Amino acid sequence: MSKLYRSREGQITAVDTKSQLTTLGSETAPGPLLVPAGARRIAAIIAAYATDQSVAADGSIFIRLEGPGLPEGPETLIIGSQGVAVATGGHGSRTARRIEVDIPVTPANEILIFAENDGEDVGTETVGVTLEFEA
Amino acid sequence: MSKTITVVGDVNAVDTRVLLTGQGSVTSPSLVVPAGMTKIKKIIMSAAADGLAAGESVNFIRLGGNAVLGGEQTIVFGGEDSQTVQTGSDAAPSLGSFFVLEDADIDVRPSDTISIAGESAGVDVGDMTFGVTLVYGK
Repeated sequence: MSKLYRSREGQITAVDTKSQLTTLGSETAPGPLLVPAGARRIAAIIAAYATDQSVAADGSIFIRLEGPGLPEGPETLIIGSQGVAVATGGHGSRTARRIEVDIPVTPANEILIFAENDGEDVGTETVGVTLEFEA
Repeated sequence: MSKTITVVGDVNAVDTRVLLTGQGSVTSPSLVVPAGMTKIKKIIMSAAADGLAAGESVNFIRLGGNAVLGGEQTIVFGGEDSQTVQTGSDAAPSLGSFFVLEDADIDVRPSDTISIAGESAGVDVGDMTFGVTLVYGK
């Protein structure tokens, strides 16, 4: 079986708040992210985020994977950190990171993806996550 | 043996699926998967924003069309920060994001058409240009 890629994105607007990623750009209601038939594991997680740099502060961003699609229970993964000295102008591009993992999955069951800002509130962040499924 | 196809396009609004169909001086490159090629082995994705609006967005692609055997594949590849500057000041230029997905291993049907779309999600950061290269193989 080849690999299959499924993604979700969403916003974090407050620190220490679990925010579910439920949309995918123009798809405002893509429905549950189900483990594809035949998939045995998540082989990698690709994640990217961006911040509006609206607060002079520092913090980190991590994701949580939960749901019945994960027979071994929830997972957490740090995906980056952010800090700015002044909130009066800035521009940055961020390249996604691909992190290889080996997380068992249960086909046809849902995986919930959450993102969270810890540390200080660094403004509003948009987070995108792709799960790379493999047989 | 491998074969490549590169497409580019402007993604100027968030939450809008934009088909990437151009290639600079070539306005309509063929999006037919070359004969004999059965997989996408590697994907190179790049994007940059002019940062003329304050916001934050993540960028991803959608691979679809009749040629993609496993259904639409969606892949996140970067993000853009933008805090617009105060009047009379400047912001430093920002290099775009550039992400290479090695061993992509996506099944495709040769001699059928693939669609490559780019999309930005979140809060609009201004105009963006996307570039995507697919590396086909067997």
